[in-house]
Amino acid sequence: MTENGTKSRLKAKLRRLEFKNPILVASGTFGYAKEMSAFVDFNKLGGIIPKTITPLPRTGNDPPRTIETSSGLLNSIGLDNDGIDEFLKKHIEYLLSLGTSIIVNIAGKNIDEYCSLAEKLNQVEGIAGLELNVSCPNVSGGVDFGTNPESTAKVVSKVVNSCDLPIITKLTPNVTSVIPQAQAAADAGTDAVSLVNTFQGIVIDWKKRKPVLGGKFGGLSGPAIKPLALRIVTQVSKAVDVPIIGVGGISTIDDVMEYLVAGASAVQIGTANFYNPGVASNLVDQLEQILDEENCSHYSELVGTLQL
Amino acid sequence: MINPSQCNHDDSMPGANPFAMQEEGTVVEISTMAENTYRLRVKAPGIAGKITPGQFFMIRPSEGYDPLLGRPLALFDVYEEDGRKVGFDFGIVVVGKLTSLMANWAAGTKVELWGPLGNGFPLPECKHLMMIAGGIGQTPFLAVSREALGLCSYGNGERNLKTKPEKMTLCYGARNKKYLAGLDLFKMDGLDVEVATDDGSEGHHGFVTGLLEKSIIKGNKPDVVYCCGPEPMMKAVAKICLDENIPCLLSLETTMACGFGACFSCVTKVKEDDGGWDYRRTCVEGPVFEAEKLIL
Ligand SMILES: Cc1cc2nc3c(=O)[nH]c(=O)nc-3n(C[C@H](O)[C@H](O)[C@H](O)COP(=O)(O)OP(=O)(O)OC[C@H]3O[C@@H](n4cnc5c(N)ncnc54)[C@H](O)[C@@H]3O)c2cc1C
Ligand SMILES: Cc1cc2nc3c(=O)[nH]c(=O)nc-3n(C[C@H](O)[C@H](O)[C@H](O)COP(=O)(O)O)c2cc1C
Ligand code: FES
Repeated sequence: MTENGTKSRLKAKLRRLEFKNPILVASGTFGYAKEMSAFVDFNKLGGIIPKTITPLPRTGNDPPRTIETSSGLLNSIGLDNDGIDEFLKKHIEYLLSLGTSIIVNIAGKNIDEYCSLAEKLNQVEGIAGLELNVSCPNVSGGVDFGTNPESTAKVVSKVVNSCDLPIITKLTPNVTSVIPQAQAAADAGTDAVSLVNTFQGIVIDWKKRKPVLGGKFGGLSGPAIKPLALRIVTQVSKAVDVPIIGVGGISTIDDVMEYLVAGASAVQIGTANFYNPGVASNLVDQLEQILDEENCSHYSELVGTLQL
Repeated sequence: MINPSQCNHDDSMPGANPFAMQEEGTVVEISTMAENTYRLRVKAPGIAGKITPGQFFMIRPSEGYDPLLGRPLALFDVYEEDGRKVGFDFGIVVVGKLTSLMANWAAGTKVELWGPLGNGFPLPECKHLMMIAGGIGQTPFLAVSREALGLCSYGNGERNLKTKPEKMTLCYGARNKKYLAGLDLFKMDGLDVEVATDDGSEGHHGFVTGLLEKSIIKGNKPDVVYCCGPEPMMKAVAKICLDENIPCLLSLETTMACGFGACFSCVTKVKEDDGGWDYRRTCVEGPVFEAEKLIL
């Protein structure tokens, strides 16, 4: 396989979005990338999604902000970030120099906030797209846009119309069915949906009669949620015509393959970055090997091949 | 259009860990140091060659997802083979999931490691350094002492102490005698070790802060204090030092998920210039902080 051939068979295209391969890293689990520089070959990644950015700085929740559960991690970070202006000052130049696609993940309290963030980022040269976090279980005071199809449709269509950037809508699993929200986002013009954000949970210290996390409730991630997230990817992929980015508990190449087969056109690596910091770029190499073994000329031949 | 390279780039936010690396290590030996307290030696030449006193590393089993996350542990000491640093020792006290497993690790167990992480203790350029340790918080001070006394050099060889402290004291507090770990290792010329136990079973009867107070009363006030231990104890030490105008560095034991700045879970309140405070990440801005900068 030539260098070019190798590259082109991993190339991912999800409507207007293009990545050099389908392996991205998930928002909130990769810092602002600088933190990962000692461990990861950025240039190999399909894309990087830095921590969610909000219009104004947010202090985040009181510690403890994370607690390990059986094969999982419950977090209530609370979108601790310095706000869009500091993000543009401190991080964007570095991020855009890393040789991979940068997707900026944004969250607002209302539709105007999402749109003004999108307009600001639309002015920056080199950003590959936006991911709308309409699903963060950690932020009180804001509307959880991702919990019903009407508000999902509204925020997505307004953002799509307020900028030229490709849009990914990141949906919450904390609903009876994700299908209506995925359909609404697709109809509103999203280029892809990320499935899923964390599952709401709580860890209790019964002796103190108190929750352990400072934010009381948290979002569960890691290997523990993989079957749940994979179920949602499978269901949405069968029901809705929209490119899917699978997220949830991925830590090995077999996990990646399961998501692709279930119908994801790309994946994001989240919590695994914390306990195996070099994992994301290693998975890209391993994906190539699998394509050799499976005699695939392009990875998309495997996408959605699950026989239900 | 905004051209990102013309943005007013500001590098004031720490994050990069330029010397860190991920490495598979092998457990070489394990020994009991005290009640529920063990010393482990792992072979991991990459990290061993770079880590300095007060820095930490993350460790987890190479296989399996439960426990999932790495755990932060401090450097105890590095060891050499044929004149080269090939691995390091650390001390643990059993408190939960991973430390319980570790107590049963056998030689040959494979472990995933990443480090060195965080900012350790600076070289003690002072006349009288007092190290105050509570419980397993003693571990960083073996390497601090050995380095300050010129018995070992750590890291890439660029750390050179201009003048040795004239006096070095380790004040070490534990619940009782059974928990006093590794006292024999701290026997070195130039280091005074004073012990306190909560129940008086050995040394000073009471908290380790009593040793600091005593030495101030006796006119042996240290120039600098390094401190590591449980939070209430560090708070008490910080207060005495602030009242007495003694510069004091604390090494915090915050809960961590990644250890390298990516998750924002290890935050602690740090004072800002404007009189307010901000949550800062202990793993990249600490774990060693100037006590006066913290809101404890
Ligand atoms: C920079 C740094 C250096 C350190 N150096 C050392 C060192 O050299 N030696 C050392 O022994 N330790 C050190 N520590 C502390 C060490 O990291 C912890 O003791 C270790 O992570 C415990 O891991 P574990 O899996 O055994 O405990 P875990 O199972 O993770 O539990 C940790 C603590 O949380 C409590 N806990 C866990 N789950 C719950 C729950 N559901 N509800 C309520 N409480 C809960 C446990 O009781 C326990 O006290 C250091 C910490 C830091 C930050
Ligand atoms: C500590 C932590 C912080 C996170 N922060 C964000 C965030 O800021 N924005 C967001 O959209 N998702 C955030 N997530 C969710 C992840 O991006 C991902 O959707 C989720 O963790 C599931 O994937 P995983 O199991 O591979 O971690 C966070 C997850 C964790 C564990
Ligand atoms: S432990 Fe993850 S940021 Fe400090």
